[in-house]
Amino acid sequence: MVSKKNYTRLAIVLALVSLGLGMQQVYAHKEPHALDQLAAFEQVFMEQVRVGDLLFHGDGDTQKNLNVNLSRTGMACAMCHPFASDTHPHEFPKFQEQMSQFATLRDMINWCIEKPNEGERIDPDGPAMKALEAYIYWSNRNSKLDPGRH
Amino acid sequence: MNERKLLQLEMDRTLRPEGERPSSTTVMTRRTFLHKSLCYGAAGAATYALLPLINTMDVAFAADGQSFRFAWLSDTHLYPKSLNTRFVDKMVRAVKEIQGMNPPADFLIFGGDLAQLGDPVELKLGAELLGEIKIKKHFIPGEHDWYLDMGKTWSKMFGAPPWTFDHKGVRFIGLDTVSHGPDYWTARKMTPQERMGHMATLDGSVAGPWAGLGSEQLKWLNSTLSSWGKDKPVIIFSHNPLYEYYPQWNFWVRDWREVHEILKPYSNVTNIHGHTHQALYNEIGKLRSIGMLATSWPWPYAPEGVPVLTRPMIRADPGDHFDAVGWSSLAVSGMARVEYEYMMWRKEVFATAPVDSGTEDNRNQILSPRIADRL
Repeated sequence: MVSKKNYTRLAIVLALVSLGLGMQQVYAHKEPHALDQLAAFEQVFMEQVRVGDLLFHGDGDTQKNLNVNLSRTGMACAMCHPFASDTHPHEFPKFQEQMSQFATLRDMINWCIEKPNEGERIDPDGPAMKALEAYIYWSNRNSKLDPGRH
Repeated sequence: MNERKLLQLEMDRTLRPEGERPSSTTVMTRRTFLHKSLCYGAAGAATYALLPLINTMDVAFAADGQSFRFAWLSDTHLYPKSLNTRFVDKMVRAVKEIQGMNPPADFLIFGGDLAQLGDPVELKLGAELLGEIKIKKHFIPGEHDWYLDMGKTWSKMFGAPPWTFDHKGVRFIGLDTVSHGPDYWTARKMTPQERMGHMATLDGSVAGPWAGLGSEQLKWLNSTLSSWGKDKPVIIFSHNPLYEYYPQWNFWVRDWREVHEILKPYSNVTNIHGHTHQALYNEIGKLRSIGMLATSWPWPYAPEGVPVLTRPMIRADPGDHFDAVGWSSLAVSGMARVEYEYMMWRKEVFATAPVDSGTEDNRNQILSPRIADRL
C-alpha cells in the first residue's frame, strides 16, 4: 500500500526530474480530434504502406532512395508472397524454425532478405524496415491475431 | 457477397451440374515415391537429397493398349546467368533428368514462362539448355515470354500456338492463354520494359485479368475438336488453368464459360497447366484439370478458391530453393486409368498433418490487394 506521504514525494520527484531534464509535457489526447487531423495521421501511415509496397515488389528507385539492397538474385519479396500472403505478421513473435530462435517479424524480414534473396540486411529500426512492416501489416490487417502459431 | 464469390458460384452452377463427372473409364490414383540420389549443391558438396517432383499420369485412353510417356517442364523463369544462376541450376537438373528417362519420353511439352522478363538473352539461354533434350519438343508460351516484344522472339524461336497433333490415339492440343491481354500500355505510353514489368508482377493490378483464349482461338478449338470423336481422349495444354481459381493472380482464363461450352460434348478431356507453381487438381463437369509445379519457385495457395478436390502440397521451406519445385513425367497406358505421381527434390509432396499443409498454414490469413501500382 502506498501512503499519501509517499504519493506526495513521488509527485515532487517527477516534477523535479521533468524540470531538470527540460522536458515539455505533450498532451496527445486532451483536445477532440479534427477530421483533417485524423486524415493526416492516415496519410502518414498509408505513405509508409505505399513505400513498403514498392520495396516489397523490388522497386529499384525506392531501394536507392533508402540506400538498401533487398536482393541480389532478381527476386523480390512479392514473388513468393503475392498480396503479402504467407508472411503471417499476425503470428509473430514466435519460435522461427529457420532461425532456430524466438523471432519478431523484423527478424524474419531480415532473414528473408539475407537468405533467399541474398540481399543486404537492413537496419531493424530504419525507414525501410518500418515501411516494409507497414505494408505487410496493412495487407494482413483483417487476419486474426494469433501470436506464437507455427 | 463479393464479386469473386458470385463468380465462383456461377462457375459451380454452370460447370458442376449434379452427377456430372469426368469419364468413369479414367480413374485417377496417386502415388508418391521417395528416392535418394546424389544432388550437388551450390557449393559443389555432394549431399543426399530426394529426386525431383515428377507428376506421372497413366492415361486410360491410348489406342490399342499402347503405352507411352511424355514429359512436362514449365515456369523456369530464367534470368540472365550474370544475375541469377539458381534458376539455371534447377533447369539444368530437370533437363538432365528428362533426357535420362528410361524408357525415353515420346516428347516434351514446355508449358511457358521460360524467361522471367522476356529478354532475348533469357530466351536464348532457355533454348540452349533445352537443346540438351533430344526428344521432340512442343512449346506453349507464358506471359513472361511474351510482353517485352509481344511474342516476336518467342514465336521466331519456338513457333506460335495454338497447335494440335494426334499421338497413339490421343488428340493433343496446345493453347495460347497469354497473348490476348487487354492493352494497358498504349494509353499510358509505357516502354516495352514497363509493359513487361507489370505483366511479370503476379499480384499487380495494372495488367488486370489478362489470361484468356480470345474469340479466334475459341473458334479454332471448336473446329479442331469437331473432327474428333466425342468419347475419344483429348489432352489440352495451357499455361493458365481453364477454370476460375483466383482471377486476381490470373489463375484462370477469363473466357472459361466459352471454353467449357466447347468442351461440354467431349467426355474424355484432361487439361494440364502451369502458371500456378503448385500441386492442384480439379474436376469441372467432364473436364479433369491438373496443375504442374515450376522449377523456379512455388507460389503459395491463393487465399480463396483452392479446388476442394486438391490435396494441398506440403508448405515450402523458403531456405531451400530446391524445395517444392520440379518437373513432370506423364505416362499414357492402355489401361483404363489415369495416374499421376508427384516426386519432390526435397520432401514428400503431400502433407500428412494439417500443420504441414500449404493451405492449413494460412487459415487465419485475410489479405488485401496491393496499392502502390494504383496510386
